[in-house]
Amino acid sequence: MTKTIMLVDDSDSLRHLVRIVLEGEGYGLIEACDGCDALSKLNGRKVHLIISDINMPNMDGLTFVKAVRNLPDHKFAPIIMLTTNHHEASRKEAREAGVKAWMVKPFDKLQLLEMVSRFAMP
Amino acid sequence: MELDQALQTFIVESRELLEAMEESLLGLESSPDDHDAINAIFRAAHTIKGSGGLFGLDGIVAFTHVVENVLDRVRSGEVPINGDLIALLLSCRDYIGMLVDQIAADSAAQPDKETEATGIMLLNQLRTYQAGEKKQSPISATAQSQPRMAVVPPPDGTVESDHWHISLRFGHDVLRNGMDPLAFIRYLDNMGKIIHVVTLPDAMPLAPDMDPESCYLGFEIDFHGDGVDKTTIEGVFEFVRDDCTLRILPPHSRIEEYTRLINELPEDKIHLGELLVNSGSLTRKELDEALHLQQILRAEYSQEAAPKLGDILVEQRVVQPELVDAALGKQKLAKENKAQESKLIRIQADKLDQLINLVGEMVIAGAATSLLAQRTCDPALHEATSTLSRLVEEIRDSALQLRMVQIGETFNRFNRVVRDVSKDLGKDIGLSICGAETELDKSVVEKIGDPLMHLVRNSMDHGIEKAEVRRQRGKPAKGTVHLNAYHESGSIVVEVGDDGGGLNREKIFAKALEKGLITASQNLSDVEVYGLIFEAWFSTAEQVTNLSGRGVGMDVVRRNIEALRGTVEIDSREGIGTTVKIRLPLTLAIIDGFLMGVGSASYVVPLDMVMECIELDEAERRESRESNYINLRGTVLPFIRLRDHFRERSKVSRRENIVVVQYAGQKAGLVVDELMGEFQTVIKPLGKLFGNLKGISGSTILGSGEVALILDVPALIQRAASRDAQLLACSQAEQIVA
Repeated sequence: MTKTIMLVDDSDSLRHLVRIVLEGEGYGLIEACDGCDALSKLNGRKVHLIISDINMPNMDGLTFVKAVRNLPDHKFAPIIMLTTNHHEASRKEAREAGVKAWMVKPFDKLQLLEMVSRFAMP
Repeated sequence: MELDQALQTFIVESRELLEAMEESLLGLESSPDDHDAINAIFRAAHTIKGSGGLFGLDGIVAFTHVVENVLDRVRSGEVPINGDLIALLLSCRDYIGMLVDQIAADSAAQPDKETEATGIMLLNQLRTYQAGEKKQSPISATAQSQPRMAVVPPPDGTVESDHWHISLRFGHDVLRNGMDPLAFIRYLDNMGKIIHVVTLPDAMPLAPDMDPESCYLGFEIDFHGDGVDKTTIEGVFEFVRDDCTLRILPPHSRIEEYTRLINELPEDKIHLGELLVNSGSLTRKELDEALHLQQILRAEYSQEAAPKLGDILVEQRVVQPELVDAALGKQKLAKENKAQESKLIRIQADKLDQLINLVGEMVIAGAATSLLAQRTCDPALHEATSTLSRLVEEIRDSALQLRMVQIGETFNRFNRVVRDVSKDLGKDIGLSICGAETELDKSVVEKIGDPLMHLVRNSMDHGIEKAEVRRQRGKPAKGTVHLNAYHESGSIVVEVGDDGGGLNREKIFAKALEKGLITASQNLSDVEVYGLIFEAWFSTAEQVTNLSGRGVGMDVVRRNIEALRGTVEIDSREGIGTTVKIRLPLTLAIIDGFLMGVGSASYVVPLDMVMECIELDEAERRESRESNYINLRGTVLPFIRLRDHFRERSKVSRRENIVVVQYAGQKAGLVVDELMGEFQTVIKPLGKLFGNLKGISGSTILGSGEVALILDVPALIQRAASRDAQLLACSQAEQIVA
């Protein structure tokens, strides 16, 4: 069965690249351009993993992560942050909200695949 | 291959972000406190940097990183936003755009020396705004020196009575500066009636501390004035404005009026302060002061804890809380509308083009099917095909609608152009935009940018006079360029206007004579004379500037517009201004046409241009054989026999009809044999070989598979009209000889 991954980022080109990498390995992808968009797309679907940026319009990544934790269906969905944000404070905040891992852009293809296969829900 | 595609996505995305960045930066110029705009600018830089890193574009990443740092400091309030910084950030935006363009041209390109030098220069300028530089900004310095007056507050934040309430605290230096506080109050009394004055001596220190040269007075004044507004009252205290604390509260009855005004303002202003200023309840000066105070408070508190502008305004007692609420409600509405507008899907243009092509083929195939159905005389089949053709028509309309884009985006680009060029020229020029929501075909929008740019620059350079000249002529010192777009009978009109000096008819006429474009005996209308400036190498400007005046350009403008099947004309009034009208077809792909037959051939004219069809009866046929015009209900209607025009050799038919067509206010008749009715016309361009043919603009395929020619109505009308004028001139000459 294909595993579905949700990718939340406001950059078209980043989503494009991640899509090339992940679809090449047989994952299914749901893309969203910000937190609000992602929440509306989560509704009623099962995702095995969420990858999210932090700095986005409308709803930023940290707010989004906290909102996901309040959804009964997605309470335990693993989340990876993929971002350029280095602030220790936001890392801490993310960890407390249950984020599994933190990747810094620009990402490495193998590293991304390794992370995804490690954290995606069975 | 896939990576290349992703890089294309990056380029498109960066350009969009840069565009948004420019818009926000220009917005900041007028409202430097718009936090959303600052955030949007920061995010644009941030995303470009992040995505640039994915593709290993180190040049972009390194430069954008510095810009992002500065923006981060702006965002957190450490660096105040001002004109210089905005100008610098605009240059940085241009530089990033240049780097992206280079990547687009050649993804492996390294920046050349010149580009690199620009980059280094910009980085040096940015450095002054980066962390580690002196933190003491001029704003916090003034914050301390500002007098904090501890006096009795005005009785209440609101005014119950029907009078203006003015709280006035003079600064200590008023007397030293040679001002008499009482004189202002007397002056105020001239404008209306002072109902009540309370003098506040509370600020008066004890006798040993008192300086007899300092002013310690404060006043609370109730004032009644008919037709007086807030700005007028503020104007009374203009000379001491910087040296006193002034609060003006409007009468109670005015609050309702202001609330109504706020609700009636156009939707697009979304800044609270601007809303209040526009409704007249707040003066510009009060707003600036409040914004200034907000900046100081932001520096003192953290970002979130700083009070909102509305709260500051209420606390400072310059507006009533009700008005702030009304404005906030309005602001929310405008923001919601904005958010709704941006629900878009991005599609590649060539996919859309393919769809339009297929729809075109479907229209032709549909026409063939209906034709066959008609021949079979089977009513059920007939019915089915007519339903089908109705649906095809709807699909055609919605497919074409997909290609329509609003012209506003193109117009908005000119904000920057007008700003930059007016600085270069040293003229104060504003831009006013009208009809930004008018839609036209995307391919037309793409090609109209350059001609518009030329016309706008021309208006600014040659049209609008220098400030001194304008003042002499009794015009406002600030010139205006207008961009306007609207629909008019099947075509779109785009206007570029200015309130400058207008064209000089005599000068153009003389110049055209000198160049041999016309002869002295020619009698030309104003529009025809002004049209001469579109001839090649035509320039009446005494001085050539680096913007315009070399005589190339206006003819290029006309050629570009004619290539889009459009026309251009000029209207001008000396001393008042010039307006260039560009008329363009709605679409370049599929139109509603009117099909007519001459001999064995078929011709199509755009249905929007057809006014009426009349039969040419036997008597008129004989009469008109020589003259080529008829009497249409009392007016002269020149016409063209398509049979003669296209040298049709077949036998003259028994009956003839005139199709009256109109374009840009001119009418002419086309004489044809047969009227065949409405026809959905898929425009196929003519080959290069036929490019020079006059009177034909394209071709189309009929349901039967035959080819029909699409007539170029503007060219035919002009031909009919000019031949008419020649005939008239000839007959006049004969009379003189006789």
